[in-house]
Amino acid sequence: MSDIVVPQGQWEADQEAALSNWLYGDGETVQEGVTVAEIMVEKTSFEIPAPTSGTLAITVAEDEVVVPGQVVGSIQ
Amino acid sequence: MSLPDATVEKPAAERRLTIAKAMSEAIGQEMERDPSVLVMGEDIGKMGGVFGTTTGLFEKFGAERVRDTPISETAFIGAAVGMAASGLRPVVELMFVDFFGVCMDAIYNLAAKQSYFSGGKISCPMVLMTSVGGGYGDAGQHSQCLYATFGHLPGMKVVIPSNAHDAKGLMLSAIRDDNPVIFMFHKALQGMGWLGTVAGSINDTPESDYLVPIGKASIVREGSDITIVGLGATVHQALTAAENLAKTGINAEIIDLRTIAPLDRETIFASASKTGRLLVVDDDYLSFGIGAEIIASVCEALPDPLKCPPQRIAHPDIPIPFTPVMEHFLLPDAGKIEGRVRAMLGENT
Repeated sequence: MSDIVVPQGQWEADQEAALSNWLYGDGETVQEGVTVAEIMVEKTSFEIPAPTSGTLAITVAEDEVVVPGQVVGSIQ
Repeated sequence: MSLPDATVEKPAAERRLTIAKAMSEAIGQEMERDPSVLVMGEDIGKMGGVFGTTTGLFEKFGAERVRDTPISETAFIGAAVGMAASGLRPVVELMFVDFFGVCMDAIYNLAAKQSYFSGGKISCPMVLMTSVGGGYGDAGQHSQCLYATFGHLPGMKVVIPSNAHDAKGLMLSAIRDDNPVIFMFHKALQGMGWLGTVAGSINDTPESDYLVPIGKASIVREGSDITIVGLGATVHQALTAAENLAKTGINAEIIDLRTIAPLDRETIFASASKTGRLLVVDDDYLSFGIGAEIIASVCEALPDPLKCPPQRIAHPDIPIPFTPVMEHFLLPDAGKIEGRVRAMLGENT
């Protein structure tokens, strides 16, 4: 199992980030490297790639506030 | 849900993009292929576009080909018409279609008529991409669609994708077209978190180069009882309504227009002939709109009357309200579509 983690160091510490989109649904199969989710920080979006291939498990819903390093889901 | 075309088999591994990313990718690939393509607009450089339409292009192509402009649509859209006349292929962003008033002379007196006035000697290969649609409480000067306003004026092509696959293919077609193309994108489908995103707009989008032809509608759901014509966001509302209608045995056929001008009347005629019923749903103002044009076209063309009078759902003829309660009361949605279809089929709702 590989955790899907919000990237570090891509925006300022005082900026609020939110998980804007899951591009795949819970339980869907994804390929390593595809963008599985996007993070929105003040109208700029950042991509989270799938760390490995497998089945996506989502733990943080769309529109929730996230912080760098946070685990938002996993690939099994 | 199987956008954009139910007959195309899905590949094993999907590569899903938002419409924003699909548009950026298309523009970037075309800039690589053709050195005459450039982008201009407000905040389309380092920021990548308020709606994400130019993400990553500034870093890749630099300030010469990805030009941030001052807040003067009059100036930079006028400049784009001149560039298009002299061999370049500009893609310009009018951040909100609502701002068309200050640049409409450049759009419909210069761009749209350039080829006609010059006897075909000077073409105008420019793309004007612009955001449309409301639903997020941004009031009457940031929420309009104005499909009919642009569709009404000869000399321009007008397209609007409902999903990322079509967005990329339509953008590539638009940039390669020698005519001015108005590329509308709906904020509710764009994939920008602060606007919310309809999940169905994020779909499998090949990395390769492919064209979605301008002027060809798509049947996104086959059915036998009624034809529902939508575009942009209303396609997804119609699909949701169709799922509910199917539970009680009503099978709706749904057409995604994809192009407003030129309008693919043939696809609509064929579908309405088959189902015998027609409902047009758009989120522009009601009067003189897309619904009126489609219904008039069907009534002119079909030899036999439909089983019930054709109908339309649109935003009523008042400015779009700011307060979300009033705005959502007036905008089309799946529930309104479902209710109207049941009424058309003689069911009590």
